[in-house]
Amino acid sequence: MWRSAFAEPSMPKDPETAGQQDAPHTLIPFLQSQSQTALTRLYTRPSSCLAIFRLLGPIERQIVMSLLWLEGPIASQTLNGWVTKEGRKPYGTALDTLSKIQILPNPGTRMLLNPNFKASFRMALTGGGDLNSFGVPYVSSKEKDAERDGAGDKKFGPNSEHLDSYALERWETILHYMVSSGTDSTPQRPSAGVLYLLQRSGLMQPLPSPSGYSTASSRKTSQLQISSLGFQFLLHTPHEQLWELLLQYLKMVEERQMDLVEVLNFLFMLSTMDLGREYSPDNLTQTQLVMLEDLRDYGLIWQRKSSSKRFSPTRLATTLTSSTPLLPSSGGGNTGPQGFIILETNYRLYAYTDNPLQIAVLNLFVHLKSRYPNLVVGSITRDSVRKALNNGIRADQIISYLVTHAHPQMRRNNPLLPVTVQDQIRLWELEKNRLKSADGYLYTNFAAQADYQVVLDYAKQIGVVLWENSVKRCFFASAEGHSNIRGFIERRSKDEQM
Amino acid sequence: MVMKAVKGVLLTCDAAVKQILLVMNEAQSFIIEDLDDFHLLIKQDEEDRIRRQLETELEKNTYSLD
Repeated sequence: MWRSAFAEPSMPKDPETAGQQDAPHTLIPFLQSQSQTALTRLYTRPSSCLAIFRLLGPIERQIVMSLLWLEGPIASQTLNGWVTKEGRKPYGTALDTLSKIQILPNPGTRMLLNPNFKASFRMALTGGGDLNSFGVPYVSSKEKDAERDGAGDKKFGPNSEHLDSYALERWETILHYMVSSGTDSTPQRPSAGVLYLLQRSGLMQPLPSPSGYSTASSRKTSQLQISSLGFQFLLHTPHEQLWELLLQYLKMVEERQMDLVEVLNFLFMLSTMDLGREYSPDNLTQTQLVMLEDLRDYGLIWQRKSSSKRFSPTRLATTLTSSTPLLPSSGGGNTGPQGFIILETNYRLYAYTDNPLQIAVLNLFVHLKSRYPNLVVGSITRDSVRKALNNGIRADQIISYLVTHAHPQMRRNNPLLPVTVQDQIRLWELEKNRLKSADGYLYTNFAAQADYQVVLDYAKQIGVVLWENSVKRCFFASAEGHSNIRGFIERRSKDEQM
Repeated sequence: MVMKAVKGVLLTCDAAVKQILLVMNEAQSFIIEDLDDFHLLIKQDEEDRIRRQLETELEKNTYSLD
């Protein structure tokens, strides 16, 4: 059995990323919604247990590690003794998360890890077992010979630079297709599977066809256009983007009649594999062979030929459950020290990049003026920000994109971005929302104050009142509440007549 | 019980926008009821037109250097 997962640190390195880790990983809520039997099946695989463990927050990991080597249950009070007063709340949430994903059922009474999880996770940590849950390395006959000749450490698999450039190219094809869908340029189209996924996830939508309604055939071939969700998606970090797409993939699993547990197992297996090593698909199930093709399209897996008898995970796959950056020099927007944006107080923006994708993303909310071999100059204007806002991008997202991609030079400033620019972007957003509207009904002309009060109280109780004025004896309630309120009034009128 | 329910859209806005809306209403009526300084009840099918018209009206008051 191959254990490679420990090469990567799973603890956040600096306080900045630790702050971001407060929110649970996007996969955790999805796991919480799964049935107990599915989760229990999932926990029979050591690699899945290890991967899930790495997705958990620091407190949850601490609790799991404390309980892992205990044979019997311990009383909840014993563990409560460790928790300081300020720690109560985070501790409670951590226990809640663990119990919802069935790792620690019934934390209220006694602390005992799910037996399947305990056994598999122990196996993952100590090795042993022959479940092949960490993948089966491919050994070619040439390699066997080499090993016999004592030259076993020579690598035959694809090198990691090659894998990185392949993954980057696949991933950027997807993002670039999204970002330029609204413009005239026609970038390379990703495969049909990717397009379908983008459409299903609501990140892109079919262009309205000229005839007004789309037929089944036209929907397939028609041009896709990026949606407001898609614009927001572009400003996320690559890690979030990847998981967003994979989550959508997981949601589609059932209608494609694939087994969710197998799909998850395969993803987790990939995430614990070694970069630059080739694996054999012999042990994969039918479902997982189908996935192999899908994931190749997304750039998570590399194969020499589609019929090849071996595959290699790329860095996109092996960093799925770790906090290290996805791709070393990712143009898709890498967090970390390689920021490239300098923003000045006069709204001018300098971006040290020649990556077409980054430039295209900047073009969403920056008025670009000139372009040099390694530098793009532009400025943030009211019009450029309004264009972005109209596309559904929020001011916060623009600001957080600028913060995460700020040039190292900018990091000396405190605050990082000029306050004037930040405030102005927010003000432009407020300006756009000067008019709020809500559908509903105005209830008015009440004959008696008592009637008004009773109906208003009822409407408040079901939480649909948006505006009220007791002097005029009228109130406005949202459309969802109308049938309830009408029913309430009819019942009361009947009572009065009796 | 005697009362009336009027279907419509509740607009929440600032005082300045409300004045613009009142002027717009004189050209083509769409307000069902003027509720208070910040709220108006308008006809449901007019909302899109109002938003567009207000947008152009507000754009007249902004200037840019480029």
